[in-house]
Amino acid sequence: MRESPSFFAFPLMLSLHAIGMALAAGINAALALRLLGAARAIDVADLQRFFPMMWIGFWMNALSGVVLLIAYPTKGLTNPVFYLKLTLIAMAMVCSRALTRRMFAVGHAGGRAPLERRLAIASLICWSSAIIAGRLLAYTYTHILAGM
Amino acid sequence: MSSIHTFQIELVKAFASFTSVGAFMHTHWGWPATESAHFIGLSLLIGTLVPWDLRLLGVGRRIPLAAAHQFVPWVIAGFALTAISGVMFLMAEPSEYIYNVAFHFKVLFMAIAGANALTFYLTIGRRTLAIGSNGDAPRLAKAMAAISLAAWIGVIVSGRLLTFYRPGWCEGDSARVVADCVLPRP
Repeated sequence: MRESPSFFAFPLMLSLHAIGMALAAGINAALALRLLGAARAIDVADLQRFFPMMWIGFWMNALSGVVLLIAYPTKGLTNPVFYLKLTLIAMAMVCSRALTRRMFAVGHAGGRAPLERRLAIASLICWSSAIIAGRLLAYTYTHILAGM
Repeated sequence: MSSIHTFQIELVKAFASFTSVGAFMHTHWGWPATESAHFIGLSLLIGTLVPWDLRLLGVGRRIPLAAAHQFVPWVIAGFALTAISGVMFLMAEPSEYIYNVAFHFKVLFMAIAGANALTFYLTIGRRTLAIGSNGDAPRLAKAMAAISLAAWIGVIVSGRLLTFYRPGWCEGDSARVVADCVLPRP
């Protein structure tokens, strides 16, 4: 793809990666903010309806991320920040999954609020950190291609 | 020299006059830190806008429209974060943006999104917000929600194209405006 005749192939993948990021991180952030007191009039369980968009964003990013990695394998794989980014995404998804399991469960009564608030804060911190690590990838690489 | 070109030169001068912002941006971590804020703001903007627009389109019908609309202040907070960080990029490297066709499209899509939102509040906004649980938004509100989502996709895509499209410095006379201002730098 790096040598693709299409001028747009690489920017297209980056565009998909940005849209997917906004959907995955953003919709998880919307749930976390709701649990921390935003948009109180919304029944938390009803937010489940929007989570298919979160998953679309997540898989868009997994796929476009793999394509970007195939285009520049050395650039990512030789950079410790890349592994930090993957770890932060994994931690963010664990927080988000723990929250959705609790909040979207049938008959959820809204109990255990302190734990949910802590998970929501952890989710926001992990997603923000994953985004920062992703941005830093463009500034911290040592080898753009093997041998370079 | 066309009047648009004169306007562009004045804009570059105006943004470049904020030299302390430019100095911060050119420190070691200035640019990546501001980009991080830009992307976090983008995620906040989209993550809270999508539930609101999708509710207008009929997803999550149990939610009353006024309740879904409570996410909108967070959309504005996300936009504020992206706008402030975005203006900081402009102040640091104005000529990279002012003469960049991808940036022109980005501003156009933002103007469409803004005019669309303004039209919503000036026309059917009040009536739409009164719709309760299981209610359906008016067809016009649905069209506006679709325009909103499409415009923001346009903003993101043209934003990503920005760094791939480096225009000429655009300092030629009007006869060379295409060569200097539209075609990529050799």
